[in-house]
Amino acid sequence: MKISVIRTYSCNTFPIFHKPKTQSLSLCTRFRRPICSSSLKPKTPLFLRPPNYSATLSDLKKWHDWAKTFSSSIGSSFVDSDNGPDPSLLCRELNWLIEDSLEDHSLIPQLGIQDYSTNVRLRVDIDELYSLWKQRIEERKPFQYIVGCEHWRDLVLSVEEGVFIPRPETELLIDSVSDVVSNNEELRKGLWVDLGTGSGAIAIGIGRILESRGRVIAIDLNPLAASVASFNVQRYGLQNVIEIRQGSWFEPLKDIEIEEKLSGVISNPPYIPSDDIPGLQAEVRTHEPRLALDGGLDGMDDLLYLCNRTASLLKPGGFFAFETNGKKQCKFLVDCLENDNAGSFCNLKIVSDFAGIPRFVTGFHQ
Amino acid sequence: MRMRSNLFWALKKLQSISAISRIDHLNHRSSIQSAIATASLSIFRSFSAETQPQLSTDLIKVMEQRLLAIEHRSVCLENIINQPEASPTEYSRANKELRKLRGSMELINELRTKQKEIEGLKSLMAECPEDKDMLDMANDELGQAIDEEKRLQSLLLKSLLPKDDADERGCILEVRAGTGGEEASLFAMDIFKMYERYSQTKGWKFEVVDVTESDLRGYKEASAAISGTDVYGKLKFESGIHRVQRVPVTEKSGRIHTSAVSVAILPQADQVDVQLKNEDLRIDTYRSGGSGGQHANTTNSAVRVTHIPSGMTVSIQDERSQHMNKAKALKVLCAKLYEIERSRIHMSRSKLRSEQIGSGDRSERIRTYNFPQGRVTDHRVGITHHAIDDMMQGENLDIFIDALLLQQEMDAIASFSSTH
Repeated sequence: MKISVIRTYSCNTFPIFHKPKTQSLSLCTRFRRPICSSSLKPKTPLFLRPPNYSATLSDLKKWHDWAKTFSSSIGSSFVDSDNGPDPSLLCRELNWLIEDSLEDHSLIPQLGIQDYSTNVRLRVDIDELYSLWKQRIEERKPFQYIVGCEHWRDLVLSVEEGVFIPRPETELLIDSVSDVVSNNEELRKGLWVDLGTGSGAIAIGIGRILESRGRVIAIDLNPLAASVASFNVQRYGLQNVIEIRQGSWFEPLKDIEIEEKLSGVISNPPYIPSDDIPGLQAEVRTHEPRLALDGGLDGMDDLLYLCNRTASLLKPGGFFAFETNGKKQCKFLVDCLENDNAGSFCNLKIVSDFAGIPRFVTGFHQ
Repeated sequence: MRMRSNLFWALKKLQSISAISRIDHLNHRSSIQSAIATASLSIFRSFSAETQPQLSTDLIKVMEQRLLAIEHRSVCLENIINQPEASPTEYSRANKELRKLRGSMELINELRTKQKEIEGLKSLMAECPEDKDMLDMANDELGQAIDEEKRLQSLLLKSLLPKDDADERGCILEVRAGTGGEEASLFAMDIFKMYERYSQTKGWKFEVVDVTESDLRGYKEASAAISGTDVYGKLKFESGIHRVQRVPVTEKSGRIHTSAVSVAILPQADQVDVQLKNEDLRIDTYRSGGSGGQHANTTNSAVRVTHIPSGMTVSIQDERSQHMNKAKALKVLCAKLYEIERSRIHMSRSKLRSEQIGSGDRSERIRTYNFPQGRVTDHRVGITHHAIDDMMQGENLDIFIDALLLQQEMDAIASFSSTH
């Protein structure tokens, strides 16, 4: 089987990456845990915490000025070193940090205008704000981990260190599902699977589109991700639509008869070639879970595995969409789907993201 | 001039006289003035509820013709509906038109009843000129009935005047710094915030769409979506050039500068209103290079939407997700396309109509904010307000808006009586 060959190859050649590549079938059995038994409690995002702290407007402004100066001091160094953020982006993030920390948003325009002695209520201690911004600049901690959330589509999803932060490109996967179910009630009513759900972004996006007529099972190997995803599902009141299961790829579905039963399979699996990992932007390289990024030697390990399995699980007319690393992977995948799974799929399409990069492969089961 | 004193009187009713120091009439609107003059109107109207509008006899004559036409049409339509041999299409067409006329017909019927009552009272008074108690009573009732007749006539007139369907919609506000560099940007920010505060006092929702800051943290460009009832109808007269005269904070020698800011108010519209097809749109991000996707973690989700047929582009960056940036950009794009369509229709209408205020001519200088003298002057209605600080806080903007609405209504009445 093609997949196992690649897997062995990548593991042997890159022994340095010790963290087990658990997506491989043999390994994942070792890691399998019962469904969501984890006692991991997700952290509450900043904007949902109670406003238990207070500070004067002038102290808040002092912090803001300090943070702006600090952000400006980096100049283009982050951009130059690894295409990281520039000062203007950091200053915009700073405004959002204030937005999430301050109870009364109407005070934001007043910051720096008048009445400095006014006390404002904060969701975080002012000293903590200093420390948070130091982490943002000095440790290159992703902004989404600083505030504990990511705004994605019209959702605000809780995220935390150890859980992959959903990307803007992935928003388009939901649009493709929306287009498909808008004129196909049969698919809307069926069972959808989001593989490697992370914070639950794709599952929740789809769940809202199905309008409680269909169901989604969202799967992630990472127990922390599974518990964060559960938290997000509950926050959007979608417990009856979306079920989170912890485990590797299709493994947690073993108890259900799914052969040729699924309406849709959607995934944004790890697809970065292992060699590219050391050169990634610091926010990604040093903070985001490698499990969600590293797709093996050519980044195709998981994509190929998922494609091959999907062929037998989708019902006739069922839809699939996968995110990829770009043009090369898209072409390779389409090639593979056309040849290795000849006759299984139709209407194969490569869809570009808004930056014009061929990003997704979509299609239907015959 | 009579017109001027009428406007002045109406405005007195609207707000305290102390706020207004000067009313001089619009020289550049002489065409409308003469149109009104030739119709020999004596319009004595106001928006405030407690005053009884006084319509001129000429205007009432014009209106009466219209009312007779509506009554006649209504009878015709009733006949069609009651004809057993009317085809289903005829029937439903007639029914639809009848429904449209229903509001007017109800008012007309009320008016006719009232007029009969007046006739009755008059003949009663003519029949028994000796009975003083009776005369007094009849006279009282007659006075009330005449008041009521006037009220109905004024309601009818209002319902017959051309209405802009967009008035009820929300709007997109765009403020742009014009001549005057950094000082213009600072004033653009002041104006933008003035509308934000004004919206707050009106209970409208004010959402910042996009702000491009200048070096001194003024606004080179700023836009907002304002939602609520009758937002466009109230704010549409704000479109145009707003001029400021003051000593800029950047000016060391204390010299007064004159700069300008342009304001545009567009009615909000959706994709259905402008029949926008997805194929006509190109959406892109302008994130700096790289492979994107899992490679990059950026909070920059700026989106640029291009309307391919017109080449128009809208870029939004301040929302926290790409999806929301895109949604906002589409909102602005739809409003702009809708405005283009509206002005196309507008141009094809009569000359008189296009000369009225609110025609959306954005190159017109409409207002001057003179800080050293502490005054704001609206050049279209010739009103000066002497509390500039209150104005900038979003208070008292109604002084201008109400005057402009009144002006609009007077223009509409003028064109009503000259074209019918």
